[in-house]
Amino acid sequence: MSPTDESFRVPLIIRGRIIDEPQVEHGGRRGGITFRAPDIAKHVGLLTLRTPSLMADLYSVSFEGILDYLVELGARLDLERNPHVQQALHLSCITSGLSESILRHHYAHLGALFDRREMRAMAERSCGIEYLEGWVDQGPSLFGGLTARTRAFGARCVHVIAGNAPIVSALTVIRNALTRSDALVKLPSNDPLTAVALARTMVEMAPEHPLTRHLSVAYWKGGDEKVEAAIYDPRGVEKIIAWGGFDSVKHITRYLQPGIDLITQDPKLSGTIIGKEAFADEATLHSVARRLALDIGAQNQEGCVSARVIYAESGTNAAGIARANRLGELTFGAMQRLPTWLSTPHKAFDLSLKAEIDALRLGSEEYKVFGGRSNEGAIIVSQEDSPVDFSRSLACRVGNIVPIDSFETAVRSVNSYTQTIGIFPESLKATLRDRLAFQGAQRIVSLGAASTMQHNMEKQDAIEPVRRMCKWVTEESAEAQLLEALAT
Amino acid sequence: MGDYFERLLGDPTSFHDAPYDEAFRLRRDQIDRLQLEGARRRFAQLRPAVSVLDRLAAEQGIESIEAIEDLAPLLFPHTVYKSYPISYLERSRFDKLTRWLAGLTTTDLSHVDASKVASIDDWIDLLEAQTALMVQHTSGTTGKLSFIPRTKAQWRETIVHSALIIRDWWGRNSGPDILRDGMPIIIPGYRYGAGATQRGNSIQVELYARGEENALFLYPRARFSADVASLGGRLRAAEARGEAGILQIPPILLERREALLELERTRPEDLRHFFSEAQRRFGGCDVYVTAMWAVLYDWAQEGLDRGLRNVFGKGSVLLTGGGKKGKALPDDWRERVLEFIGFDNIYEMYATSEMMGLCMMCERGNYHIPPIIVPFLLDPASGRPLPRRDGTTGRFAGLDLMPNTYWAGLVTGDEITLSGWETPCACGRTGTHVVPPVRRYSEQEGGDDRIVCAGAPEAHDRALEFLAELST
Repeated sequence: MSPTDESFRVPLIIRGRIIDEPQVEHGGRRGGITFRAPDIAKHVGLLTLRTPSLMADLYSVSFEGILDYLVELGARLDLERNPHVQQALHLSCITSGLSESILRHHYAHLGALFDRREMRAMAERSCGIEYLEGWVDQGPSLFGGLTARTRAFGARCVHVIAGNAPIVSALTVIRNALTRSDALVKLPSNDPLTAVALARTMVEMAPEHPLTRHLSVAYWKGGDEKVEAAIYDPRGVEKIIAWGGFDSVKHITRYLQPGIDLITQDPKLSGTIIGKEAFADEATLHSVARRLALDIGAQNQEGCVSARVIYAESGTNAAGIARANRLGELTFGAMQRLPTWLSTPHKAFDLSLKAEIDALRLGSEEYKVFGGRSNEGAIIVSQEDSPVDFSRSLACRVGNIVPIDSFETAVRSVNSYTQTIGIFPESLKATLRDRLAFQGAQRIVSLGAASTMQHNMEKQDAIEPVRRMCKWVTEESAEAQLLEALAT
Repeated sequence: MGDYFERLLGDPTSFHDAPYDEAFRLRRDQIDRLQLEGARRRFAQLRPAVSVLDRLAAEQGIESIEAIEDLAPLLFPHTVYKSYPISYLERSRFDKLTRWLAGLTTTDLSHVDASKVASIDDWIDLLEAQTALMVQHTSGTTGKLSFIPRTKAQWRETIVHSALIIRDWWGRNSGPDILRDGMPIIIPGYRYGAGATQRGNSIQVELYARGEENALFLYPRARFSADVASLGGRLRAAEARGEAGILQIPPILLERREALLELERTRPEDLRHFFSEAQRRFGGCDVYVTAMWAVLYDWAQEGLDRGLRNVFGKGSVLLTGGGKKGKALPDDWRERVLEFIGFDNIYEMYATSEMMGLCMMCERGNYHIPPIIVPFLLDPASGRPLPRRDGTTGRFAGLDLMPNTYWAGLVTGDEITLSGWETPCACGRTGTHVVPPVRRYSEQEGGDDRIVCAGAPEAHDRALEFLAELST
């Protein structure tokens, strides 16, 4: 039996209750898989929390108690022992753009995301734990006799999550718990089982725990108006956290009305700026090429953090172009040597991208192409100071090095669709960071560190979704005398 | 029959003015021989002069075509005819664009000085004035125009060829002999321009209508501008990504904005004039009409709304194709068109910009590939040729042997089903045929971010609207 002949079941999990009635068949994305799920229309009334007072049980658990729960959950996500995680990996191997070696690494480290210290830091940086735990005094005001206390409360949220990496599901569960929110996770068709694996493990671990009871996961076909009109209703939902492309976000906006807040985590692209120092000597260039290969090749360039267009201050005269070409050659070589848990030839190389690369190699003198013959990836070096016309479609480990005379050209190319920018050397990063931020960049890292993300788990592209998932409620006091004076 | 076959074998370009029905009586072995010898000859002739073909052949290690399978790796990806960097257009580097195009044709462009040219339209005009070329551009709905280096002679051959198709498709001399007798032409589109549906207009006016007084265009003075089409394509691509706000407008379009917008202003008047003239000068006459289906429908609807029905004579002919171009049309769109035009003598084609030959639809609803096009079906994933078995579906690729100055061998973006290898079509015509539907791979591969490949006039109109919206 070939993998695509398999039929998968995607259960509906509502507040700790597992409904596994495979009644409706859905087609998937890559791999041509199909899966069967319950008929969501029958359960739609139970998906969101229409009674807000039912959020109260989350406040019987302390922040430390939440961390205890999450840490234990992390321990139970061991790929070797957890059959739900194994099944999610199995399905992802068919539907994901990532190779099995990379996915295996992801799923083997799924539990590691539930690190106590990291989760605490995430909460501290985004909201401040004291705000999650209680009412925090806001200090004196302009008028004596007025004081205030603020507390961060969780909200009733729908998360329309992305399916390109399992970390998205894990982060959603963690964020929901840390903020004491209520989550309905809309499963993506290209990874419908990772969030299910997490929810099932939670049900097995603590079926009655408030954190288990405030997570639901469901699949419905995006755009199903009957289902969505019932779900996106301000009586049961306060916030929608939407990952995904222009179409999917645009489509959600039709349900927006007063009472519903939309937090978009739209698709972004990332890039690189390499200063002239990279070309100082051959040893430096080798090191730069290895780091650049990481930024392009890690996770097979499937992430929004992956570098695509690389501006290199090599100069644009003949010697400059030769330097850029040398960097291209070295980077392509380094990319081929990346470890297989991090990067491999792409298993489903984009055919229209391949046609573009072939056409450049044959029809144009303006680009030098390293690789790109099959699915090994490619480095395209522009022989002038502009990127390839299909720069928005660079994927499957294909980077485009653009030689420039001055980093000004690179700075101007940055806009609000730019997420991460990897920079070499460090001094250039300090020089440019403010200007890049003005242009729209959201994360500025050392060259090679694009996919480390340790300090971006809660900030996410300068969007601060964790903070925005909360409702910042203020309780204010005024002295009676002051108010009486106002009345007379 | 023997003479016909020998003539094609000697010179495949002669197909353009040969009786069209003969083409579909050739035996399988004759078609195979014609295609193998024709491909061999074209490759040997064009390789030394077309540098891009030479590069591909060297890369594939193919020195000569021994068997027909050797041809498949020599077919260009369709992106080759748009492999220039778009910065050439943005920075007005038309000298470089000329050099790029020179690598795709045997036509000598070395004497052309395009360094002062500021727009695509001007560049196309310059090439027409100074060389044998009459460049055609595609609609650019995916964001970039292809430029096809067709010659003036080839355009003439194309127009002659279409007339013979109309005469002979349903049997020798079954249709009007437009070249012999002339026929008024009605085109619900632009009079001028270098897009697929305007490029042949002047030759049609000359050879079919025999003068402007016998021709009617919706926009008789306007040009379908390549610069506007280029902006339209990029705009559409940017809008599909939600990024229209960061689109750079070429300065030349801003400079010429007023002239371009003049078209917008005269549009209602043009439309009124077109319908009144259609009725006054050509009502009840036998005419030749050509346009894509989507355009025809808009036109017919507009006419029906004005109370016009059965406008033309029963002996009129319509040459059309292009499907619905992603437009949402009502179920009875075809009937609406027929109701308006008043005749049902329809020649429907499937064609590719880079090729001169057309694939006409038969009474069984199949598109017949003429014998001078060597067809291949490729595996969409591996790009390798699929077996020549009836009913096989794959990516359409082929070499048209008619063009003798550029390599009309390419891999298209279309998914088609081919039959006729083993059993000929039930209509009785020999050779291979395309069994509809024809689908674009880009529509399947794009997923969430797909860009719908809608009709060219719409992208053009959208670009004009966009220009109009820009504050002055």
